Amino acid sequence: MTSFALLFTLASIGISETVYLIRTRINSEKPVCLIGDDCMTVLSSRYSKFFFIHNDVLGLLVYIIISLIAALLVIGVSPIPLWSLFIKILVSIASIASFVFTYLQWRVIRVWCFWCLMSAFTIWLMGLIVLISSLI
Amino acid sequence: MSRTSFHILRVGLAITFLWIGVLIFKEPEAWGGFIQPWVADLVPISIKQAMIGTAFLDIVIGILLLIDSLVWLAALVAAGHLFVVLTVSGINEVTVRDIGILAAALTLMVDSLPKNFIDKINSTGLTSRD
Repeated sequence: MTSFALLFTLASIGISETVYLIRTRINSEKPVCLIGDDCMTVLSSRYSKFFFIHNDVLGLLVYIIISLIAALLVIGVSPIPLWSLFIKILVSIASIASFVFTYLQWRVIRVWCFWCLMSAFTIWLMGLIVLISSLI
Repeated sequence: MSRTSFHILRVGLAITFLWIGVLIFKEPEAWGGFIQPWVADLVPISIKQAMIGTAFLDIVIGILLLIDSLVWLAALVAAGHLFVVLTVSGINEVTVRDIGILAAALTLMVDSLPKNFIDKINSTGLTSRD
Protein backbone atom coordinates (compact mmCIF):
# COMPACT_ATOMS: atom_id res chain seq x y z
CA MET A 1 0.00 0.00 0.00
CA THR A 2 2.96 2.32 0.57
CA SER A 3 3.62 2.64 -3.16
CA PHE A 4 -0.03 3.57 -3.81
CA ALA A 5 0.07 6.10 -0.95
CA LEU A 6 3.17 7.68 -2.50
CA LEU A 7 1.60 7.69 -5.98
CA PHE A 8 -1.56 9.26 -4.56
CA THR A 9 0.45 11.92 -2.71
CA LEU A 10 2.53 12.79 -5.79
CA ALA A 11 -0.56 12.86 -8.02
CA SER A 12 -2.25 15.22 -5.53
CA ILE A 13 0.77 17.54 -5.63
CA GLY A 14 0.54 17.38 -9.44
CA ILE A 15 -3.16 18.30 -9.32
CA SER A 16 -2.45 21.38 -7.19
CA GLU A 17 0.39 22.41 -9.56
CA THR A 18 -1.65 22.06 -12.74
CA VAL A 19 -4.73 23.73 -11.23
CA TYR A 20 -2.47 26.69 -10.32
CA LEU A 21 -1.10 26.86 -13.89
CA ILE A 22 -4.57 26.59 -15.46
CA ARG A 23 -5.90 29.31 -13.14
CA THR A 24 -3.05 31.73 -13.89
CA ARG A 25 -3.42 31.08 -17.64
CA ILE A 26 -7.20 31.67 -17.58
CA ASN A 27 -6.74 34.88 -15.52
CA SER A 28 -3.90 35.97 -17.85
CA GLU A 29 -1.57 36.20 -14.86
CA LYS A 30 2.15 35.48 -14.75
CA PRO A 31 2.91 32.38 -12.66
CA VAL A 32 5.43 32.68 -9.84
CA CYS A 33 8.70 31.35 -11.26
CA LEU A 34 10.94 30.38 -8.33
CA ILE A 35 13.81 28.89 -10.36
CA GLY A 36 14.73 29.48 -13.98
CA ASP A 37 14.61 32.45 -16.31
CA ASP A 38 11.06 32.95 -17.43
CA CYS A 39 8.30 30.34 -17.11
CA MET A 40 6.08 32.34 -19.48
CA THR A 41 8.48 31.78 -22.38
CA VAL A 42 7.94 28.03 -22.03
CA LEU A 43 4.28 28.13 -21.03
CA SER A 44 3.33 30.33 -24.00
CA SER A 45 5.57 28.57 -26.55
CA ARG A 46 4.24 26.59 -29.50
CA TYR A 47 5.00 23.41 -27.53
CA SER A 48 2.58 24.32 -24.73
CA LYS A 49 -0.26 22.55 -26.55
CA PHE A 50 -0.69 19.00 -27.78
CA PHE A 51 -3.45 18.53 -30.37
CA PHE A 52 -4.97 21.92 -29.42
CA ILE A 53 -5.17 20.92 -25.74
CA HIS A 54 -2.99 22.81 -23.26
CA ASN A 55 -0.34 20.67 -21.57
CA ASP A 56 -1.53 21.82 -18.13
CA VAL A 57 -5.01 20.40 -18.85
CA LEU A 58 -3.51 17.13 -20.09
CA GLY A 59 -1.31 17.00 -16.99
CA LEU A 60 -4.29 17.61 -14.72
CA LEU A 61 -6.21 14.76 -16.39
CA VAL A 62 -3.25 12.39 -16.01
CA TYR A 63 -2.79 13.29 -12.32
CA ILE A 64 -6.53 12.91 -11.59
CA ILE A 65 -6.62 9.47 -13.29
CA ILE A 66 -3.49 8.31 -11.42
CA SER A 67 -4.87 9.45 -8.05
CA LEU A 68 -8.23 7.78 -8.76
CA ILE A 69 -6.60 4.49 -9.78
CA ALA A 70 -4.30 4.58 -6.72
CA ALA A 71 -7.38 5.15 -4.53
CA LEU A 72 -9.27 2.28 -6.22
CA LEU A 73 -6.29 -0.03 -5.73
CA VAL A 74 -6.10 0.83 -2.02
CA ILE A 75 -9.85 0.37 -1.50
CA GLY A 76 -9.61 -2.94 -3.39
CA VAL A 77 -12.08 -2.29 -6.19
CA SER A 78 -11.99 -5.00 -8.89
CA PRO A 79 -10.41 -5.66 -11.38
CA ILE A 80 -7.17 -4.96 -9.45
CA PRO A 81 -4.72 -6.47 -12.04
CA LEU A 82 -6.23 -4.25 -14.74
CA TRP A 83 -5.97 -1.08 -12.60
CA SER A 84 -2.40 -2.02 -11.72
CA LEU A 85 -1.48 -2.49 -15.39
CA PHE A 86 -3.27 0.72 -16.38
CA ILE A 87 -1.42 2.84 -13.78
CA LYS A 88 1.94 1.39 -14.95
CA ILE A 89 1.17 2.19 -18.61
CA LEU A 90 -0.04 5.70 -17.75
CA VAL A 91 3.00 6.54 -15.61
CA SER A 92 5.32 5.14 -18.32
CA ILE A 93 3.71 7.28 -21.05
CA ALA A 94 3.77 10.35 -18.78
CA SER A 95 7.46 9.73 -17.97
CA ILE A 96 8.36 9.58 -21.67
CA ALA A 97 6.31 12.74 -22.36
CA SER A 98 8.15 14.49 -19.49
CA PHE A 99 11.50 13.53 -21.05
CA VAL A 100 10.36 15.06 -24.36
CA PHE A 101 9.16 18.28 -22.69
CA THR A 102 12.37 18.58 -20.65
CA TYR A 103 14.43 18.08 -23.83
CA LEU A 104 12.38 20.82 -25.54
CA GLN A 105 13.15 23.24 -22.67
CA TRP A 106 16.84 22.31 -22.69
CA ARG A 107 17.64 22.23 -26.40
CA VAL A 108 14.83 23.88 -28.37
CA ILE A 109 13.31 26.69 -26.26
CA ARG A 110 16.53 26.98 -24.22
CA VAL A 111 14.69 28.31 -21.17
CA TRP A 112 13.91 26.41 -17.96
CA CYS A 113 10.40 26.53 -16.51
CA PHE A 114 10.14 25.79 -12.77
CA TRP A 115 6.60 24.36 -12.88
CA CYS A 116 7.35 22.19 -15.94
CA LEU A 117 10.46 20.77 -14.27
CA MET A 118 8.60 20.19 -11.02
CA SER A 119 5.90 18.30 -12.91
CA ALA A 120 8.54 16.26 -14.76
CA PHE A 121 10.30 15.32 -11.50
CA THR A 122 6.92 14.41 -9.95
CA ILE A 123 6.19 12.06 -12.87
CA TRP A 124 9.70 10.55 -12.86
CA LEU A 125 9.44 9.93 -9.12
CA MET A 126 6.15 8.12 -9.80
CA GLY A 127 7.92 6.08 -12.47
CA LEU A 128 10.66 5.18 -10.00
CA ILE A 129 8.08 4.12 -7.39
CA VAL A 130 6.22 1.97 -9.95
CA LEU A 131 9.53 0.41 -11.07
CA ILE A 132 10.76 -0.34 -7.53
CA SER A 133 7.36 -1.72 -6.40
CA SER A 134 7.31 -4.02 -9.48
CA LEU A 135 10.77 -5.36 -8.64
CA ILE A 136 10.09 -5.98 -4.94
CA MET B 1 1.98 33.73 6.99
CA SER B 2 3.92 33.87 3.71
CA ARG B 3 2.12 32.65 0.59
CA THR B 4 4.63 29.82 0.13
CA SER B 5 4.03 28.55 3.69
CA PHE B 6 0.28 28.89 3.18
CA HIS B 7 0.34 26.77 0.00
CA ILE B 8 2.60 24.10 1.55
CA LEU B 9 0.21 23.83 4.51
CA ARG B 10 -2.84 23.84 2.21
CA VAL B 11 -1.57 21.04 -0.06
CA GLY B 12 -0.26 19.00 2.88
CA LEU B 13 -3.60 19.22 4.68
CA ALA B 14 -5.46 18.45 1.43
CA ILE B 15 -3.48 15.23 0.91
CA THR B 16 -4.07 14.23 4.55
CA PHE B 17 -7.85 14.63 4.23
CA LEU B 18 -8.00 12.92 0.82
CA TRP B 19 -5.93 9.98 2.01
CA ILE B 20 -7.92 9.57 5.24
CA GLY B 21 -11.11 9.59 3.14
CA VAL B 22 -9.74 6.80 0.92
CA LEU B 23 -8.63 4.75 3.94
CA ILE B 24 -12.05 5.10 5.60
CA PHE B 25 -13.70 3.92 2.36
CA LYS B 26 -11.45 0.86 2.49
CA GLU B 27 -12.45 -0.21 6.01
CA PRO B 28 -15.37 1.87 7.34
CA GLU B 29 -16.19 -0.61 10.13
CA ALA B 30 -12.60 -0.61 11.41
CA TRP B 31 -12.56 3.21 11.51
CA GLY B 32 -15.93 3.10 13.27
CA GLY B 33 -14.13 1.34 16.12
CA PHE B 34 -12.69 4.70 17.15
CA ILE B 35 -16.17 5.98 18.00
CA GLN B 36 -17.02 5.88 21.70
CA PRO B 37 -20.01 3.63 22.62
CA TRP B 38 -22.04 6.54 24.03
CA VAL B 39 -21.78 8.32 20.64
CA ALA B 40 -22.74 5.17 18.70
CA ASP B 41 -25.96 5.02 20.71
CA LEU B 42 -26.81 8.61 19.78
CA VAL B 43 -26.22 8.25 16.00
CA PRO B 44 -29.49 7.38 14.17
CA ILE B 45 -27.68 5.58 11.30
CA SER B 46 -25.33 2.58 11.32
CA ILE B 47 -21.67 3.17 12.16
CA LYS B 48 -20.70 2.01 8.64
CA GLN B 49 -23.00 4.59 7.04
CA ALA B 50 -21.72 7.30 9.37
CA MET B 51 -18.12 6.46 8.47
CA ILE B 52 -18.86 6.45 4.71
CA GLY B 53 -20.43 9.90 5.15
CA THR B 54 -17.28 10.99 7.00
CA ALA B 55 -15.14 9.64 4.15
CA PHE B 56 -17.14 11.70 1.61
CA LEU B 57 -16.77 14.81 3.80
CA ASP B 58 -13.01 14.26 4.15
CA ILE B 59 -12.62 13.87 0.37
CA VAL B 60 -14.67 17.02 -0.39
CA ILE B 61 -12.56 19.01 2.13
CA GLY B 62 -9.40 17.58 0.54
CA ILE B 63 -10.47 18.46 -3.00
CA LEU B 64 -11.40 22.06 -2.06
CA LEU B 65 -8.06 22.56 -0.27
CA LEU B 66 -6.14 20.96 -3.14
CA ILE B 67 -7.66 23.10 -5.90
CA ASP B 68 -7.40 26.26 -3.76
CA SER B 69 -11.16 26.99 -3.86
CA LEU B 70 -13.22 28.11 -0.85
CA VAL B 71 -10.21 27.35 1.33
CA TRP B 72 -11.63 29.24 4.33
CA LEU B 73 -14.87 27.22 4.18
CA ALA B 74 -13.07 23.89 3.69
CA ALA B 75 -10.71 24.71 6.57
CA LEU B 76 -13.64 25.79 8.78
CA VAL B 77 -15.49 22.50 8.09
CA ALA B 78 -12.23 20.59 8.60
CA ALA B 79 -11.68 22.25 11.98
CA GLY B 80 -15.28 21.54 13.02
CA HIS B 81 -14.96 17.96 11.81
CA LEU B 82 -11.74 17.44 13.77
CA PHE B 83 -13.30 18.95 16.87
CA VAL B 84 -16.13 16.39 16.54
CA VAL B 85 -13.58 13.58 15.95
CA LEU B 86 -11.69 14.50 19.12
CA THR B 87 -14.99 14.64 21.02
CA VAL B 88 -16.43 11.31 19.82
CA SER B 89 -13.14 9.38 19.81
CA GLY B 90 -11.48 10.94 22.81
CA ILE B 91 -7.80 11.84 22.85
CA ASN B 92 -5.71 8.67 22.54
CA GLU B 93 -2.36 7.67 20.99
CA VAL B 94 -3.91 7.90 17.48
CA THR B 95 -6.18 10.94 17.74
CA VAL B 96 -3.60 13.06 19.61
CA ARG B 97 -2.19 13.97 16.18
CA ASP B 98 -5.57 15.42 15.24
CA ILE B 99 -4.78 18.31 17.62
CA GLY B 100 -1.99 19.33 15.21
CA ILE B 101 -4.24 18.90 12.17
CA LEU B 102 -6.96 20.94 13.92
CA ALA B 103 -4.44 23.73 14.57
CA ALA B 104 -3.32 23.60 10.92
CA ALA B 105 -6.95 23.80 9.69
CA LEU B 106 -7.64 26.79 11.98
CA THR B 107 -4.47 28.50 10.71
CA LEU B 108 -5.57 28.04 7.09
CA MET B 109 -9.06 29.30 7.88
CA VAL B 110 -7.83 32.44 9.63
CA ASP B 111 -5.34 33.14 6.84
CA SER B 112 -7.84 32.70 4.01
CA LEU B 113 -10.93 34.45 5.37
CA PRO B 114 -12.67 36.59 2.69
CA LYS B 115 -11.56 40.24 2.69
CA ASN B 116 -15.11 41.60 3.17
CA PHE B 117 -15.51 39.41 6.27
CA ILE B 118 -12.23 40.75 7.73
CA ASP B 119 -13.33 44.32 6.88
CA LYS B 120 -16.62 43.70 8.69
CA ILE B 121 -14.76 42.46 11.81
CA ASN B 122 -12.41 45.45 11.64
CA SER B 123 -15.34 47.87 11.34
CA THR B 124 -16.83 46.52 14.56
CA GLY B 125 -13.58 47.45 16.33
CA LEU B 126 -12.99 43.93 17.58
CA THR B 127 -9.47 43.77 16.17
CA SER B 128 -6.48 46.07 16.28
CA ARG B 129 -6.13 48.30 13.22
CA ASP B 130 -2.36 48.73 13.41
